[in-house]
Amino acid sequence: MQARLPATNRAGFFEIRMESIGGLGANLAGKMLAEAGVLKLGWNGTFSAAYGSEKKGTPVRASIRFADANHPIRGIYAVDEPHVVAVFHEALLQSQDCTAGLQPGGVLLVNTAKAPTEIVRRTGWRAGKVACVDATAIAVRERTRVNVAMLGALCRVMDGMPPEAVMAVIRETLGRKDAALVERNLRTFRAGYDEVRVEDMAPAAAEESGAATPATADRTTPVLGYRNQPQGGCIPEPGNSVWRDLSASRQGVLPILRLESCIHCAACDQVCPDLCFVWTAREGRNGRVFQFLAGIDYQYCKGCLKCVAACPTDALQAGREEDGYAEAHRTKHPFAFA
Amino acid sequence: MSIGQRVEALDTWSSHPLFEQRTDLCSGNEMAARAAAQINYHLMGYFPITPSTEIAEYLDEMKAHGEHDIVLVPADGEHSAAGICFGAAAAGGRVLNATSAQGFLYMLEQLPVQSGTRLPMVLNLVTRSVSGPLNIHGDHSDLYYALNTGWPILLARTPQAVYDMNLMALRVAEHPDVRLPVIVAYDGFFTSHSKQRVQYFANREAVQWFVGPVRKAEFDLFDRDHPVTVGPYMNEPDYIHNKYQQSLAMYRAGEVFAEVAAAYARISGRYYGALDTYRLEDADIALVILNSAAETSKDAVDALRAQGIRAGVLSFNILRPFPVRAVQEALAHVQVVLVAERADAYGAHGANLTHEVRSALQAVQAQCTVLSRVYGLGGKEFHPADAEALFQICLQAWRGEAVPAFDYYGVIAGDPAVRPPRGLKPLAKEEVSGFVQVTRDEKTGELIVKVPPLRALTAKAKRLAPGHGACPGCGIFPAIETFLKGIEGDVVVLYQTGCAMVTTTGYPYTSHRVTYIHNLFQNGAATLSGVVEMFWERKRRGEIQIGEDPTFIMITGDGGMDIGMGSALGAAMRNHKLIILEYDNEGYMNTGSQLSYSTPIGHMTATSNVGAAQQGKAFHHKDTPQIMAAANIPYVFTGVEAYPQDLIRKAAKAQWYATHEGMAYGKVLTACPLNWKTPDDAGNEVVGLAVKCCFFPLYEVEHGITRITYDPEARGERVPARAWLERMGKSKHLLRPENEALLQAFEAEVERRWRRLKAKHEHELL
Ligand SMILES: Cc1ncc(C[n+]2csc(CCOP(=O)(O)OP(=O)(O)O)c2C)c(N)n1
Ligand code: SF4
Ligand SMILES: [Mg+2]
Repeated sequence: MQARLPATNRAGFFEIRMESIGGLGANLAGKMLAEAGVLKLGWNGTFSAAYGSEKKGTPVRASIRFADANHPIRGIYAVDEPHVVAVFHEALLQSQDCTAGLQPGGVLLVNTAKAPTEIVRRTGWRAGKVACVDATAIAVRERTRVNVAMLGALCRVMDGMPPEAVMAVIRETLGRKDAALVERNLRTFRAGYDEVRVEDMAPAAAEESGAATPATADRTTPVLGYRNQPQGGCIPEPGNSVWRDLSASRQGVLPILRLESCIHCAACDQVCPDLCFVWTAREGRNGRVFQFLAGIDYQYCKGCLKCVAACPTDALQAGREEDGYAEAHRTKHPFAFA
Repeated sequence: MSIGQRVEALDTWSSHPLFEQRTDLCSGNEMAARAAAQINYHLMGYFPITPSTEIAEYLDEMKAHGEHDIVLVPADGEHSAAGICFGAAAAGGRVLNATSAQGFLYMLEQLPVQSGTRLPMVLNLVTRSVSGPLNIHGDHSDLYYALNTGWPILLARTPQAVYDMNLMALRVAEHPDVRLPVIVAYDGFFTSHSKQRVQYFANREAVQWFVGPVRKAEFDLFDRDHPVTVGPYMNEPDYIHNKYQQSLAMYRAGEVFAEVAAAYARISGRYYGALDTYRLEDADIALVILNSAAETSKDAVDALRAQGIRAGVLSFNILRPFPVRAVQEALAHVQVVLVAERADAYGAHGANLTHEVRSALQAVQAQCTVLSRVYGLGGKEFHPADAEALFQICLQAWRGEAVPAFDYYGVIAGDPAVRPPRGLKPLAKEEVSGFVQVTRDEKTGELIVKVPPLRALTAKAKRLAPGHGACPGCGIFPAIETFLKGIEGDVVVLYQTGCAMVTTTGYPYTSHRVTYIHNLFQNGAATLSGVVEMFWERKRRGEIQIGEDPTFIMITGDGGMDIGMGSALGAAMRNHKLIILEYDNEGYMNTGSQLSYSTPIGHMTATSNVGAAQQGKAFHHKDTPQIMAAANIPYVFTGVEAYPQDLIRKAAKAQWYATHEGMAYGKVLTACPLNWKTPDDAGNEVVGLAVKCCFFPLYEVEHGITRITYDPEARGERVPARAWLERMGKSKHLLRPENEALLQAFEAEVERRWRRLKAKHEHELL
């Protein structure tokens, strides 16, 4: 198979960045795409991923760099000025600067049921094409994973990437397991390829508006340098992880609480890994003070649903997470800061 | 010449079909594993540590599919791993190891022993920053500790070089004039985990041909007609001669490397000189920089050259012995050299390489300015723009501007007004006290514990704050918090390295509302012993005014009770007033699920794969509570989140003992949905089944007297082991007919331990 690179930057590279969370299979998708480029199309290519640890649900960022067959790719460093950004989980648009450095005229691909215009509204990025694919729905339908549906969409938005190349790699990678699985994954890939909706957001304005965020923005600039970082790496701020927002770890489901049927037994609270349950002390009917469940602090909920399994009544139920539900139904922990 | 360049003149045999090569896209770790499998080492002793762990994982996976027959020995720590390798090398076969960072430092003590004893092997050092604070990313801090170990050091800048160097390293190591163990070092993550285009020999015979049969050593341990004493007690005047031999062998290794590299070029078409130089011939300014960053710097050179600036890069393929002549030849004409180092030799005005390059140039009276910069520590990325910035420093110096001879590159001051994100108010006494009561019956000596219902206990403040980064459904935190419900008042916690530690303290955030300290997981119990004893001594001296004494608790994983077993037993022997709480998730989960000694037989992990040739872990789970009970500490217990009242009661007792008598130890089984391959919501039920099938009995050992606190048999609630095993993806293969024997072995072991426990329950003296 032969194909030309869709585009190249000053250094001669075509670059893709994947924004995902652990467990969605972005690494495997990235690896398969890179293999398709290198082993099937004869390009030069590298694939690298940056992750903090092996945990599920934590942000993962992966970089793919392609070049012509004889053009060296020497350095291994994160893609700063990608031609394509693929966002595997919509919530990352909130928690990460996904469009940083994205080239004018490039493509922002998002796993979402929303329309491209809605993504533009959320991200403010309109310097190129916005592509939307409901990879989650495809994966549910085919009983596969989001990553292969995203791979299909990615292949489509990479003008000139022959789908056969990627499909050959999928076959080789998954073929070892079983044939039915390969078939389902090829259908998933096809669906991603066919169902992605691409809209050019600023055909004329692209040049003048430039990238939405400064290129080569160092997104990791710490606010703590050598003059203000407390000595020895100590953190003299107990419990300050309460500032973190873990909503992006959820994959479409969360527990829904109906207080009417709650018997306040605290089974949910005891099994919750993420300390999400909020309690208040109130006088009960007999005048004595009792603990009452007030609600769930969804900012920390990762959607494991252990609480639903533990609940002896039907007060806790699993539900699909609708847009805005968690924010609207969140009961905040009443933290007192030092 | 640089790698990747085909060496046409030498390209004589590489066209022979035996040496056919295949193109692939692979990471450095994959290439190290591939080289090892093709060499078919006799043995690998290892202990997992990021980012080198994958090498053992890949090899285990290949082994499960029958692709090589290397004996893989999972050690209980790196010190042991090095010991296993030392012994295996002494015993005459080919030996491999791989490690990083703390793991390397933990085995460091063994390395000179092995080089001094002249026992060849190959160690892949996948370079990473050194603690503390803990950081898993790539720099060269560990490598710099290797410099004086007496091991030749080969460097690999790319996955391709990782493969090539691994093949060459063995030949250097085994050469009769050398006979030294050799390190192959490459960059953690940048090289170990990134996939790049590579070539490797399609036929393992090509590799076998190149490395040849194992070279006979001067002595053979198993030559019964010639017994030999390995490792005598040697004083002066002899010792210095052993060292001089070693020194000569090390320099000889440099020459041997050149010979081996030439031979390798002939079959592979890839040649590695002592140095890797890029556009250095006419350079005015040059960077000296190791491994992957050297590749990045070449892009900057091209950019500068396009502007008419004559820049170049020098990197090393061999660092020990230091190729001094080659460095002199390559750099003598350069005006300004900047040695950029991903490590510091604190206080030495530049790290080691700076001084080695400077002295090499001084010896030939080169008129060259040598600058030194520390960069990229802890995995801080290095972009072409960074290389350009370093070249700019060279230009400034060349123009005569004053630049510091030594400095850090890429640090920022920060605004002193800015602090880490604000934390929570300290827990008030009444938030954590007055919930659970322990009294001692003066007549019987028995502890009587009163635990309120869970609902009332929700008023007791949690010692953890939300916002930690564990996986959805992780069982660690419910177990710890349920346990802590039984602990009254102030606590000071020490967490050993593992998931609980990593997910609760990602800088600049902490989920700990109480005072917390980390030490690496081989040494937490010793560290907490020190904390406790200092508390008591400072209190005795009147330096601490405190109403109530805190309870000291160490939290460790099951892996921490492998590598840290000695430390824990030491603390037990000394009987400090502290509690060790082990959360057992049946593996080294933080590093991506490798087997621990607590992993049950047959269970699948990344180092106990399932395939035609192997069915998961090969040996039974460790009975840590019984080991700790044998240490005769006042209190030992087991618990799970599924039996909360039981666990809370035991916590209260543990606290009583740890404040009145001495050490308490408890083990809680905690679900790891990610690596047990269970649904996120199933943890509570699954650990409950482990109890009900008697794999994980709930009991306590109080002053040596065993009491089962929940007897599923007596309650008519016992389930067969398969009811537990079938719930987990990591163990359900045990129910397949072909694994019947393995399942029976597991059931028999569970039964034997359960019967013995019951006997102990029934007889005080057992
Ligand atoms: C001396 C040393 N060797 C290896 C490591 C890498 N390492 C960090 S945590 C860990 C596994 C810990 O296992 P366990 O104690 O069971 O805790 P878990 O990760 O399962 O929570 C390993 C191998 C290290 N930090 N230090
Ligand atoms: S890997 Fe397992 S033990 Fe570690 S945080 Fe994830 S679920 Fe918890
Ligand atoms: Mg563990």
